[in-house]
This record gives sequence, structure tokens and C-alpha cells, in this order.
Amino acid sequence: MRRTLWLLIALALVVAYPLVFTTPFQQRLGALVLLYAIAASAWNIVGGYAGQISVGHVVFFGSGAYAAMGAYAHFALSPLIGIPAGIVFAVLIAAVIGGPTLRLSGHYFSMATIAVAELARLIVTNTEYLGAAVGLSGPTVPRNVFDMSFISALPYYYLFLAILIITLGITWWMTSSRMGFYLRAIKDSERAARSLGAPASRTKLYAYMLSAGLTSVAGALYAMIFGFVDPESGLGILISVKILIMAALGGAGLLFGPFVGAAILVPLEEISNSLLGGKGAGLTFVVYGAIIVLIARFQPGGILALINRLWAKRRAKPTEESISKEASHAS
Amino acid sequence: MLLDARGVTKAFGSFKAVDAASVTLEQGDILGLIGPNGAGKSTFFNCLTGDLALTSGQVLFEDHDITELLPEARARLGLARTFQVPQTFEGMTVLENVMIGAFLRTPHRAEAEARARSVLERVGMMRLADAPARSLGTPGRKRLEIARALATEPKVLLLDEAMAGLTQREVQLAIDLVRDIHRSGITLVIVEHIMEVIMSLASRVMVFHQGKEIARGSPREVTSDPAVIAAYLGTRAAKAAAGHTPIELMGGPAT
Repeated sequence: MRRTLWLLIALALVVAYPLVFTTPFQQRLGALVLLYAIAASAWNIVGGYAGQISVGHVVFFGSGAYAAMGAYAHFALSPLIGIPAGIVFAVLIAAVIGGPTLRLSGHYFSMATIAVAELARLIVTNTEYLGAAVGLSGPTVPRNVFDMSFISALPYYYLFLAILIITLGITWWMTSSRMGFYLRAIKDSERAARSLGAPASRTKLYAYMLSAGLTSVAGALYAMIFGFVDPESGLGILISVKILIMAALGGAGLLFGPFVGAAILVPLEEISNSLLGGKGAGLTFVVYGAIIVLIARFQPGGILALINRLWAKRRAKPTEESISKEASHAS
Repeated sequence: MLLDARGVTKAFGSFKAVDAASVTLEQGDILGLIGPNGAGKSTFFNCLTGDLALTSGQVLFEDHDITELLPEARARLGLARTFQVPQTFEGMTVLENVMIGAFLRTPHRAEAEARARSVLERVGMMRLADAPARSLGTPGRKRLEIARALATEPKVLLLDEAMAGLTQREVQLAIDLVRDIHRSGITLVIVEHIMEVIMSLASRVMVFHQGKEIARGSPREVTSDPAVIAAYLGTRAAKAAAGHTPIELMGGPAT
């Protein structure tokens, strides 16, 4: 009950935000927070719940971005048409690279995904059809509303919000199903999960494909709001890193963790960029590095886990004594 | 025949951890696997569960060849196990840990939860259902391992040193639990260091030494076997020990 109430309050605040903060900068900032929250939430399915730290999610992000812009640039279609195409493409890539890479454990999986992402960036940079190093542009002058080219950030904001809610809904549905339970078990001990009948490889692959599809939607939306995609903005490894840090900072493996992380990091980056201009770009990455170190050292569960822990502190923990007492009752 | 392992060999490089070990398991057995440290009993155990791939040999379960099956597929057939070092799902509650096992037989969450609760009831951990699993100590974790395995509704349960690290009293409670499990019709394989456990539970014992089976029989037969005493204590000690009750030398109770 109480949780539902808090959720409704939070939702009301998010819905009201662009109506209260009305400058173009503030509205755009809000839209970007939601956009990164979608990407980070999608990453969270495989990185947070399943504990497979993918640093190559930008491949799926790029699939969506290029599909959206490609639909316009090559077929003069609405970038929206690119969304399903991007999803299909991303899921196929995930199925192909997930098979061999998800067998790798820990850092090796992460490194393999980096390699795939860099490979994709190099291929696209050298592919004329995808605009090579220049990239693809969206509609400069919108023909109609379906070209998704708006001057105000407000339509983007509500579109992104709707998709974020869908993403979180899918995540929630997954976590409360058998698949979600299996993923969390695999994260803690794959060997034990297998011994209890959890088909580990298949479950991880499905999660990876689901995550890839949702990430590609975020990529498509990104290309729509910026109106173009190039190898750096659509396939640069730093996008992966950004997504990962947001999820980890907010709380990987928690439903609202990525949103919290995005709500902290995106404003931080945008404000530092606007204050420092071109010189600020480098500083952002210094900040990211510092955040990684701080999370890893002090709060591996992220900010939301910290809050949850403080919240639950009142509950008494069962002690060794109560367990043996329990056990003796049993026999 | 429930389980039939034939000529199981597991080599790591040129070292044969298990060398041509065979065992059969009938419905209702409690088979004890014993042997000194490094004798190969855990390796053999892991070959049966599918955690290790065999170098050669064959494992049959209810007359089906399961040699090539993954652990999850064996679990589906009815082969459950616990781990020597408890592999608790730390991020979950006690109940959720057991639900992972229960999900093998039902895809529905509510159904899995109901089954997990009844298993917790059975092993006497009901009151801890909502506690985070990481708050459990060794006895709780060992018991949780067994609960999770039971939730998969196994035909055969393999316990890998389920009682190591427990106090005398806790061992007694665990023995009672294992007896209760056996009474419910589950066949058991136990790897154990504590002789008292083997003596009071096992119907048959298989003794490993340096990867090979050196003796088999009832617990009493096996513990008085000179080869077994030699394996545990060395040949000279075995000769010197002639005349003593062997089980006493092996750390068991002076009965």
C-alpha cells in the first residue's frame, strides 16, 4: 500500500516536472534523464539482475539509432518505423553474440562485449550505406508529426516517459516471474542454480535478448531527439559506460535504480558541460571514473540499496541462536 | 536400478582423480562415500551430478544414459545435490532460495511459493522464511541447501559433506533430518568425513583411496577392512592397530 502511494507521488512529480520547469534547457534535461533511464533500465535486466556486466550495449543502442535514422534517410519513412526494425536487428545480434560470450564469466564477458562494440563501430565507420564517419541525419524540416522532429522537448519528454514506464513494466513482470528468480539465482551462484534445474545458458540468453531489444528502443529515441546518428554518438563505447554507471550508481538489480542513477548523472553532466563548455567534456569522464571507484569501494549496491538498507534497519535479523532453536523444534 | 555409474574416470591432465569407479544405487539406499582427503570422492560425486564431464565411463539414471546431460537436465530427471561449501543465493530471502528449487516443477510463482513454504516447514525453517539468506550461519546454510534440493522433488539426493562444520548437537539434528528425508522415499548418496554419520545412516559404504575404490560393503565391514585402515592411517599404523577397534581409530565413537 505504502509503496504504491510513494510510486504514485513519484509518478506525479515526474509528470509535472516539465510543466513546472519550463525553460527549454530544463525540459530537454528532463527528456535526457528519461532517455538514459530507459537505456540504463534495459541494461539492468542483464547487467543488474543477471549480473552479466555488458560493456557492449552500445551495439544495441546503435542498432536502434541507425534503424530509426536509416528508415528516414533511405526509405523516407517515419523514424518510428525504424523502432521495430531496430529491435529485430538488436535481438538478432544479441542472439548471435550472446551464445558464445555469455559462457564467459565475469571480466571475460565484459571484455568480449567491449570487443564486439568496437568492432561494430569500426564496421559502421567504414560502411557507406550507414553514412560512414559522417552518420545519418533525420528530417530537418518535419513533414508531419510522425517524423518525430520537434523544436520543443516537451513531446519527447512524454514519449520517453511512456516508454520508460513500459520498460519498467516489462522489467517488473520479468523479475516477478520464474525467469527473474532464475536470473538472480544465476547471478549469486550459477552452479547452484543449475543444480536446482535452472537452465542457466538459455535464461541468460533470453535476458540478453530482451535487454538488447529495449536498449535499441532507447537508441532510436536518442537519434530522434538529436536528429542524427554518427559512429561516435551511436556506437561510442562511452555510451555503454555511461549507461552502466547510471545503473550501478542508482542500484543495479533494483527496479528504480537506473532511473535514480540517470536523474543524478545526466544533470551533472549537462550542467558541467554548459558551465565549462568544450573544456568540460574531459572532466565528465574524470567524474565517471571517480564514481566507479566510489561505488565499488563504498556502496556496491548503489544509492537505492543504501536507502533500502537504512529503511529496513529497524527489522531484527535472525541470529545463529534462533536458527538452532528453530532446528531443534523441527526434529 | 536408480543410478548406475560404470567405469567412471576423471583425469585432470595426467592425474586421474577418479579411476574406473563404478557404483549402483537401488531405490531406498543410503550410500556413503568415504575416504581420506583427496581420495576422489568429491570428484566422483561431481561426475554423478554433471558438474564435471567424465574422461571416460558412463552414468545411467533409471536406465537412461545421462553421461552427456548438463546438471540442470539431471535435476529435471530427479537428481538433486547440495554443495560442500554452501552456495547460498545471498541476495535472496530464505524462502526465495527454496523457491528456485520449487520452480523446477512449476512455472507459477504462487505455486512455487506454496511448495517452498511446505518444504521449509518440513525442515523446520519456517520462521526464517522471510529472513535474508545471507544472515544465516553455517548450520542454517547447510539446512537451506537441503531444503532447496528437496524443493526440486528429487528421486536421489546427493549430500556433499552436509554436516561438516556443525557441532555435535547440530550433527544429530541433521542426521534426524536425513533420516526423515529417507523415510519419505528419497534415495541418498552421502559424502561425509564424520564416521559417526556414516555409521548411523549408510546402508552401504564405498571407500575411495587415491581415486580408486578400495572397499565396499556395510559400514561395519568396511571399517574393519585392513585396506581401509591402511588408507586412513598408513600401513605401519594399521599393523600396530591390529587388535584395536578400528572405528575408534578413525575418529568414531567408542561403542
